[in-house]
Parts: sequence; structure tokens; C-alpha cells
Amino acid sequence: MTGPPTDGGTEPAQGGGPAEAARSGGTIEVAGLVVTYGSATALDHVTLSVRAGEMVALLGPNGAGKSTLANTLSGIVTPASGTARTGGRLAHIPEGRQLFPDLSVEDNLVLGGWRSRARDPSSVYDLLPRLAELRRRRAGVLSGGEQQMVAFGRALMSRPDVLVVDELSLGLAPMVTRDLAAHLVALNRERGLTVLLIEQNARLAFGVCERAYVLEAGRVVAEGPCAELAANPQVARAYLGGPIEEATP
Amino acid sequence: MREFLTYLVNGLAVGCGFALIASGLVAVHRVTGVVNFAQGMFAVVAGLSASWLLGVGLPHGVSEVAAVLIATMTGLLTGLIAIGRRGTTPQSSLIVTLGAGVLAYAVEIFVWGDQPRSFPGLPGSLTVAGVGVQRQHLLVIAATAVTFVLLSAFFGRTYLGKALSACASNPYAARVVGIDVTTMGLLAFAIGGLLGGVAGVLVTPLRPISFDSDVTLIVNGFAAAVFGALTRPVLALSGALLLGVAESLAAGYGYAAYQTEIALGLMLVIMVVQSTRRATVLEEST
Amino acid sequence: MTRLTPVAPVREAAGARPGSRIRRVLPGGVVAAVTLALPAFLDDSALTVYIFLGLAAMVTVGVSLLMGYAGQVSLGQGAFYAVGGYTAGILAVRGGPPLAGLLAAPVVAAAFAVVVGVPLLRLRGHHLAFATIATQLILLSLAGQLEFTGGDIGLQGIPRLGAGPYELGDASGYAYLTWAGVALVMLVTRNVIVSRPGRALRALATSETAAASSGVPVGRYKLVVFALSAAFAGLAGGIYAFYVGYVAPSSFPVLLSIEYIVMAVVGGLGTVWGAVVGAAAITLLVQGLNVIGTAPGMPSYAPSVLSYAVYAVVLIVVVLFLPGGLLPAVTARLRRER
Repeated sequence: MTGPPTDGGTEPAQGGGPAEAARSGGTIEVAGLVVTYGSATALDHVTLSVRAGEMVALLGPNGAGKSTLANTLSGIVTPASGTARTGGRLAHIPEGRQLFPDLSVEDNLVLGGWRSRARDPSSVYDLLPRLAELRRRRAGVLSGGEQQMVAFGRALMSRPDVLVVDELSLGLAPMVTRDLAAHLVALNRERGLTVLLIEQNARLAFGVCERAYVLEAGRVVAEGPCAELAANPQVARAYLGGPIEEATP
Repeated sequence: MREFLTYLVNGLAVGCGFALIASGLVAVHRVTGVVNFAQGMFAVVAGLSASWLLGVGLPHGVSEVAAVLIATMTGLLTGLIAIGRRGTTPQSSLIVTLGAGVLAYAVEIFVWGDQPRSFPGLPGSLTVAGVGVQRQHLLVIAATAVTFVLLSAFFGRTYLGKALSACASNPYAARVVGIDVTTMGLLAFAIGGLLGGVAGVLVTPLRPISFDSDVTLIVNGFAAAVFGALTRPVLALSGALLLGVAESLAAGYGYAAYQTEIALGLMLVIMVVQSTRRATVLEEST
Repeated sequence: MTRLTPVAPVREAAGARPGSRIRRVLPGGVVAAVTLALPAFLDDSALTVYIFLGLAAMVTVGVSLLMGYAGQVSLGQGAFYAVGGYTAGILAVRGGPPLAGLLAAPVVAAAFAVVVGVPLLRLRGHHLAFATIATQLILLSLAGQLEFTGGDIGLQGIPRLGAGPYELGDASGYAYLTWAGVALVMLVTRNVIVSRPGRALRALATSETAAASSGVPVGRYKLVVFALSAAFAGLAGGIYAFYVGYVAPSSFPVLLSIEYIVMAVVGGLGTVWGAVVGAAAITLLVQGLNVIGTAPGMPSYAPSVLSYAVYAVVLIVVVLFLPGGLLPAVTARLRRER
């Protein structure tokens, strides 16, 4: 690991304004990353980087290896070769929320602070007041949007420098997605939280990120500023439901 | 009626022993997915240790606590070999814990010999509502109640306990937030050892224990845990009490010889009924 | 006895090249010849070991089939061994023809397996493991109380095996009988494995759901394999009863069932030869340690401590480090070196 120390245990406990939920300055550095499951190659020499304070999208179809990349970054999957480093503390909102369904919302949040040793969820409640109302409910019985909000709050509990969000919009109503995306953008703009947004919904990703990578069958097949990628006919056909000019004749 | 009450208290005390074994099984199974066949062995280790420590002159209290600590360490060691190696499936771990149980036979015979051992518990008896009750029976019941209260406070209130529950609830998510699931599994095995140890020191004064008493203990503990589908400690507790009382009544009313058949038959019926119900649920959901 | 020859490793059935066929049948033939020749060279105590080894191999082939092919863990295989032993014993003690007792042993064991298997095989994994161990404990407890099983003392004075004027008196006769039984069990198992249902069962061990969704009658196949493995154990139990001359609940401890698991796991689950190799390796190892343990100057507890330790350590090490078993690991290495 490079960059700032990943252990936040020595930090002074500060009073909980909304901004306390995130810190700034994290980076992601992935170089020549190869991940295999048995004989199948999930990631094949993937190289990408996210600078401090950037908000970058990672696009790709199902099975392209996006979640594998996220799992490798958070240390759950061990690479066969290459490196996946994060500068600063990383939090990971996994695909499908992955809450602790039998535990209360508050316990879910508090456990999110395992790495940072943060035990007080009040800064998250300030940011997402709806969670304060739900604090005693079992996470497993919440709606999809509420669960995604818990997952979001749980990730913020570790006061991350880098946030990897895997499929923010999946299975959610557009309004709920917009709401969560707005929070994400605010944390990025106001606090400089570094974000890697893994999405199938390219319209959402292009709307909030400056740059994007396109992952297909374990390889990076395109990268660049979102505006450029959106103009690329191949990318547009695959991820935006056809070239822009065809969509607006 | 008076007889009935005596058998009832006796059965509750025996059931408490099963309940402690069962709760250890549940703790390990919830966190690791492994059914720990060595759970009964922890009780045997504690019972034999306590009787040995008392024999060399340590006072009551100290001996029992030391014996429970020895059982806790044994639990940790069992966990190390059962889940310490990455990629061990729960089924392989079950067989490894079986091996750990047999390995303990060798150690136990080497250290303590192969004869049953016991030690005196609380002497004397009380008369409650006209019924004579042995003090040791009451001690077992009270100690079990305290253990269960502490256990539920630990899992429900403390941060470490919540982390253990998190591993049980969603191991992948536990790793996402940075919890080391293997370490938590080892902790669960240590807790299993502790609970088994408490069972051992409480029950040994009631019935002498020898190296191979673990089979009876684990099978009865498993039977109790099955009531709670191996995940619900409270249901496991009620299952254990039911089992203990059923065995005690059977013995009291002249069917002592059929204790095993009654207890194990009950377990088999419950498991088969549960599996039938589960199969129906699966079919409906697909 | 010549039956041993066609029993070749499972892979041979896949229809390999003609040259490799000879190369694979050849070791089987050598093993058969050695098996046949051995009793002539062994003294009585060695013959006893040889017989017990064969009996263990018979049961272990069934355990290996059950665990490796049907994916079911039975911790109560000793129960079927006991049923076989008691069946043969009871019939013989009551004056039935001993041969009928021997034939009835596997049949009754298999029938018992079907009766308990119908409800129990609904259970999976550790539930089945505990259900089978519970079955054995119940059976032993009943045998210890019922009059016709002789209670805790058991059945004494089971007559020697014989048919008409012929009586199997000496140990070498039992050795031949035992190993004929082993050959039969191996042959049956091999035929089951290469049959169409056998291949379907292989799928069952990996994924029951997948097997079920591809139209395999999962439940029936499991029951058949369960009954078959019980029949093997029953046959071994029957021979045991005639050879030893008495059976009691203490002849069939739960630890016996665990020994079979150790042997099956050591040999490699789902391999016919592996089961025999596993049974041989463990029996000989424990026997060797027994010689050391009973040597003059050793404490009285030495034999039991040594044998428990060896079972435990071998089981743990093999499960953790050689999950395929000893035989597949060794043959794989030999093949690589060739």
C-alpha cells in the first residue's frame, strides 16, 4: 500500500458534521492486473488509475470483470499477477448491496466502521436523515432504495478516502438513483472524495464522471473523457442504446 | 407428583448441560458454517481437567475456571486445524473436527487414563415447595441461565459480538467492511470451547465423565441444536431442556434403558420433518 | 477367486488404448495372485490381521462409493456391519444353516438400510452424518437390551461356517472367504460405477441440484447406493460373526464407523482400489503401532493412545493436504514422472 496510512485509528475523534463522513486524497493504481478463477481469466492485464479527488466511471457488460476488480481492490480477491493499490482508506459498496440482513440498520452502519474504528453513526445520520428513522429496523426487510442507502452509509462509516461503488443504480427507481448519485457528487465536489463508479447505466455514469474506462471480457477496451467516449459510435451503441445521432434523428 | 418434580429438576439440569454444548455448536456453526464434532470433547477435557486439578490440591472455583480456560484453548486449537487452512470446505472441516475428537482421545488417555473421573459438586440438597432438590442441580441451572444471558448480551450488545453476528449473517459483506472472517471463526471456536468447558465442569459432578463420553454429549447437543436449525440459540436451549426432561422422565418411570432411543429418535424425527418442510419451501420458491 | 483379475481401475472402462489395457489389468492380476498366495505364508496371528483387513476393505469400498459417488457422509456404517453380524449370528445360533446366515447378512443389512434410508436420505451433509451415527447408537442400545440379541453379553458360541459335511475350520479358509468377498464387492462396485446410473451418480456427488434438473432420479440412486454399501458392510459383519464366534454391542463401537471414514478418505473417495489401499494402509499401520505399543516396558495405555493418535493425525493430514486421497496422489505423481 502506498500513500496515506490506511489505519485511521490514531485520528482524533471529531464531532460529526456531514462532511466528517468522508476524507479526501485517495488514489487507485491498477497495473497489469490478472485475476483468474480456476482456468477462467476474469481480468487480463488491466491497467487503470484514478487520481485524488477524481470521479471515474468503469463501464462494461455483465461478466466483464468489473466486480472482480472491485473485490480485488478491497482485498477479497487475490490477484494472480499485477498490482491493485489504493492510496488511502478504501470503502467498497458491493454489487447487490450485501448488507447484514439479520442486523439492524444501526448495527450495519456501526460495523462499516470496523476499519476506521468509528463507532458513532451520527455523521452518517446527518448526511442521510432517513437512516436515523430506520435505525432500529432489520436491514433485510428494507426496500431496495433504503438498502442501497444503508450500504452507502455503511461505506461512509469507515471515513474513506476512496469509494468504489459497484452498480449504484441496479434495480433502483430512477428517482432513488438520482438522489444517491447527488450525494456521491456532493461528497466528491465538496470533500474531494475519490470515486470509482462501476456502472452498466452509462447515461448515469457519463452524467456524473469526468473520465471512464470500458471493460470487456476482462480487458480495458476504451478509456478517455466521458464526452469523447459518448461520441465514440461503438461505445454509444453498446452502452447508450445506439449512437446519439440515431437516437435523435 | 413429588417424584415428577424431582425428575423435572433433574432433567432440567441434564438438559442445561446439553444446552451449553448445543449453544457452542450454534456459535461455531453460525459464524463458520462448520458443525463442530469436537464440541462434546471440550466438555470432556474440562471435566477431566477439573477433576485432575482438584486432585492435585487446587481449591474449588480455581480448578473449574482453569478447566474452562483449558477447554477454551482446546477450542481455539481445534479451530486452527479445522478452518485455519484456506479453502477448507465445511464438510472437510466436519471431518477434521472428527479427527480432532479422536486425537483428544489419545491425549486424554495419555494424561488422565481411560477410567471415568468425577469430582464432588455442591453438597447437600434443598427443599423447595416440599420437593428435595440437589444443590448441584440448582447450580447447573443457575449457571446455565447466567451463561445464556451473558452470551446473548455479548452477541447483541458488544461490537465484537456484532462482528461475529455479521460473519454469520453475510460473510462476504463482513469481508467487504474489513472483518477477518477466519479470525472471527477462530474466536467462535474458542467460544465453543468455553461453552463446552462450562458444560463439562457443571455436569461432571452429576455423571462421571471418561474420554469417550464425548459421543453422547455431542449427539445430545446436536439433537438440541437441531431444534433451532443450528442457528437459533434460544430454540436450541428449549430443545435441550425438552431432551433432558424427556430422558429424565423416561429414566424415572422405568424406561432408563431406553433413554438413548427416545432422545435420538426424537432428534431424527425433528430433522426429517424439518427437511421435508425445507424441501417444500424450496419447491415453492423456484 | 479368479474374479479379482477383471477388476481394474475405474478409468480403464473408458475404453483406452489396447496397450494401456494390458498395463492396467496387469497390476490387478499381480494383486490377485499375491492375495491368493498370501494365506499359505502367514501364521495364525498374521492371518487374523489379514482377515480383518479384508473385512475393513469390504466395508470401506461401500463407504467410498457412498461418499465419493453419492456425496453422502455416513458416520454409522458400523450399524450395517452390526446388522450383518447379528443376522448371521442369530440365524446360526438358532440352528439355521450357517450358509443361509451368511447370505442373509448382506440382504438384511441392505433391507435395514432401505427402511432407515427412505426418511434419512432426505437429510444432507452434517444432518445425515449425525442421523447415521444416531442410528448406530440406537441400534447398539437396542441390541444391548433385547433378549434375542443376547443383551450386553451378546451372542456367544456362533458355530463355524460350513455347508453339509464341509466346515470352514481354520483361519486360512476364512481368509479365502473374506478376500473372495472383497473381490465380489469390488466387482459389483466397479460395475455400478461404469453403468449409466453410476455416471449419473458421479454428477450427484458434485451437484445434487444439477443432477436432479438433468432428470436423474436422485433419491432412488442415493437409496440404491446406500443399500449397496450397507450390503457390503453386512457381508463383512456376517463373516466376522462366523470367524470370531461371538457378537456383542461392544464389537461395533461408533469409533469403528469413524475408522471406515479414515480408510476411505485415506484411499481416496470414489476409487475402488483406493478403498482397499486405505483399509490396508490403516490396518497395517495400526497393527505395527500395536506391536510397538505392547512391547515390553511400554505403559499399558500405549496401544490405545498410539492407535487413536494415528487415526486422528492421518485423517486430519489427508483431509487437509491430500483431499483426493493417498492412492490418487501417488498415481498422479507416478504418471507425471513417467
